[in-house]
Amino acid sequence: MNPDYDKQLEAAISRELKALPELAAPGALANRVMAAIGQRARVPWYRRSWQTWPVALQAASLVVLLALFGGLCLGGWQLSQTETVSFALRRVGEWSSGLSTIGNTLNVLVSAAVLVVKKLGTGVIVTCLIIVGLGYAMCVGLGTVYFRLAFAKREESYL
Amino acid sequence: MRNYQNMVFSTAMRLLTNQSEAEDVTQEVFLRAYERFGELQGSPTVGGWLKTVATNLCLNHLSRYRSRWTFFSEIFTGDSDAGGEPEMEFADESNAGEELEARDRHELVEQAMQKLPTAQRVPLVLYHLEGLRYEKIAEKLGVSLGKVKTDISRGREALRKKLRLTLELENSLT
Repeated sequence: MNPDYDKQLEAAISRELKALPELAAPGALANRVMAAIGQRARVPWYRRSWQTWPVALQAASLVVLLALFGGLCLGGWQLSQTETVSFALRRVGEWSSGLSTIGNTLNVLVSAAVLVVKKLGTGVIVTCLIIVGLGYAMCVGLGTVYFRLAFAKREESYL
Repeated sequence: MRNYQNMVFSTAMRLLTNQSEAEDVTQEVFLRAYERFGELQGSPTVGGWLKTVATNLCLNHLSRYRSRWTFFSEIFTGDSDAGGEPEMEFADESNAGEELEARDRHELVEQAMQKLPTAQRVPLVLYHLEGLRYEKIAEKLGVSLGKVKTDISRGREALRKKLRLTLELENSLT
């Protein structure tokens, strides 16, 4: 592209666009805005966003929230000290001990798998790895193609 | 409000090219201004504030409500470049500037702008009318700097063709 041409075109378009007068807003727009403002003003304070509350109410709400949070923490701690909750926690501990059994089983399975791999030899393992690698590359490639097909236009027309 | 309503409405209309959407955005801009009435009252930057809010609301509106159908419509109809649209009828190239009254000329420019694809019109408006730099436009639209430059360049070229603008350089070459 000729830079002079670009500059001239930019200047010409700029001239045309900047010469445009403001468009006249519809006459009813002001009334519509005033009606919306009136409607919004009639909404009670507790149904508006927190930022628009009076400062005193904002401060009071903060204090109430902090008190609620503190009460919740204290209540939770007190509850954990009761006999029923202690019993429930012990039961949960017993159930979770079952997880260690699952862990042991998995450990045995992994050891068996390692033993099988050692018996098969390096050639088979390398072949398997190559197959897995190729499969992965194929997935990435196909995924990229599909993504580009689906989203290329969207990126181009971001709006 | 009456002092600024045309400015805000123009900004919205040129970005959205839809009267009812532009009215909605204008209303929202003034509602937000009302919420900050204390800060804005008597401020010399109120015009700039209103324009920035209007621009941001329009861009949010475009990206939120239009991307869904644009995605599908453009997949099936191909690139929405200006090339496929029938060109508007204008007066002869030689005496277009002389024959058209300024008001008609403005109307034609507005129409030509509205006919541009959104992807070209929006950065063009932001650059020439809102005075934003390429980098800022790219940031606001969430696209690359190169894309913004390309879209603006294409938009200018499309406008040049639609408005039959003749440049000095072209004249000197021919």
